Amino acid sequence: MLFGIKNLRGVIPRSNSVCRIQQCRLKRSKAGLSPEAQKVVSQLSVLSAGRKMPRLIKLCNEDYVKHRTIMKAWSLERKNKIEQQKITLKKQYESMKKASEDLKFASPKLFTIANEHEYGKRFPLEIRIPTDYPPRQLWYYNYVPRQKK
Amino acid sequence: MLQKAILETRRGLAAAVAGGVRLVPLENIRASLILSRTPIVTPDMSEFDKKFYKYQEELERRLMWTFPKWFYFKKGTVAEREFTKAQKYPIPSHPGVWFPKGLPDIKHGRDRRFRQDIILPKKAPEEESGEMENETRAIKLNSRITEADKKNDQASLERKLARTLYLLVKQDGQWKFPTFPVENEDVPLNEVAENGLRRVGGNKINTWNVSRTPAGILKYSNGKLLDCEQSESPSVKDSSIVRDYLIKSHILAGKFVPQDKQGVEEYKWLVKEELEPLLGKAYFSQVEFLLSKV
Repeated sequence: MLFGIKNLRGVIPRSNSVCRIQQCRLKRSKAGLSPEAQKVVSQLSVLSAGRKMPRLIKLCNEDYVKHRTIMKAWSLERKNKIEQQKITLKKQYESMKKASEDLKFASPKLFTIANEHEYGKRFPLEIRIPTDYPPRQLWYYNYVPRQKK
Repeated sequence: MLQKAILETRRGLAAAVAGGVRLVPLENIRASLILSRTPIVTPDMSEFDKKFYKYQEELERRLMWTFPKWFYFKKGTVAEREFTKAQKYPIPSHPGVWFPKGLPDIKHGRDRRFRQDIILPKKAPEEESGEMENETRAIKLNSRITEADKKNDQASLERKLARTLYLLVKQDGQWKFPTFPVENEDVPLNEVAENGLRRVGGNKINTWNVSRTPAGILKYSNGKLLDCEQSESPSVKDSSIVRDYLIKSHILAGKFVPQDKQGVEEYKWLVKEELEPLLGKAYFSQVEFLLSKV
């Protein structure tokens, strides 16, 4: 019973003054949206293509051939580079293998030591990762070796 | 895959060694050090690469969506007004006006047929006080070409920042990678090489060696370098051959300073191409693939 009465109250038109205040509040945004809804709309408009999409590129036949030539040249160059790298890697591997075999023959003891696993060996933190432009201090010269205890 | 193969061979070789008889005297075994300075800046791009990247960038810019100004600048703010003022807006289509390049298709202040150029409003020039302390100072890029490049100072570590440099020394009147004799069989080859480097080049040097195993081998007979085919032929006696095992290492900090009376007369930091004339063709062809092109 009580709930029914409350709901009914919501439907009954309120006095004129209350309505006016509500209208004023709604009038702020242009599209008739509340500021929260407006915010969501503008956020979505960034993500959606809508009117922001450029026109498609229509290439004439000559330009299309040019484009294809450029892409082909690039892929060929990349392919050659990768092949060269593979060849170099193979050579390096063969060289390592040859040296190791020879060391085994020349000095088995040195060979055994060389193949022992180095536990706890890490990539050095001091090594620099190349950047596009050099740092202010190009090289660290004042290195002092750590004292062995 | 390669790594796996290396590991397998290592295991196989290690298992095969079980007290063999040594035919080579210890004085004929030496360790050579390929000490490199890794690049400090990214590699230089070739002309072709530069042009290709430019082409790709232009395509990408042409196909980019219109910049949503309303999202980044709140309406009615000073920032919005300044930004709007800095932009170049296309001329809208107008009845009775002839456009030689076709009718403009303008949406959100951008002609959709072309790329959009976004111009950032210029800020007032900054005061030149407190160079380093001023956190809002303009970013100044350092030059990729250094003083050492201009002077062509080949002993400097600061030359050719985009390339890998290798240390070359003049030992016994000959240019080569620093080479050191093995005196004790209990010391691994990499330590022989690194200790030797500190003996001839001073203690204040920080290096990191990649592996204990040698990366390559050079064989000499009566002081003459043997090429790959000769070194494998059985006609050359093993006991008379001098073997140089090449160990790779990187310099991280410090400097190579030749010490007195240690047999090193001169030293140079060189890139791969500069090594060939000094090393000689025979020597270079055997180590060429161990050196980086970049």
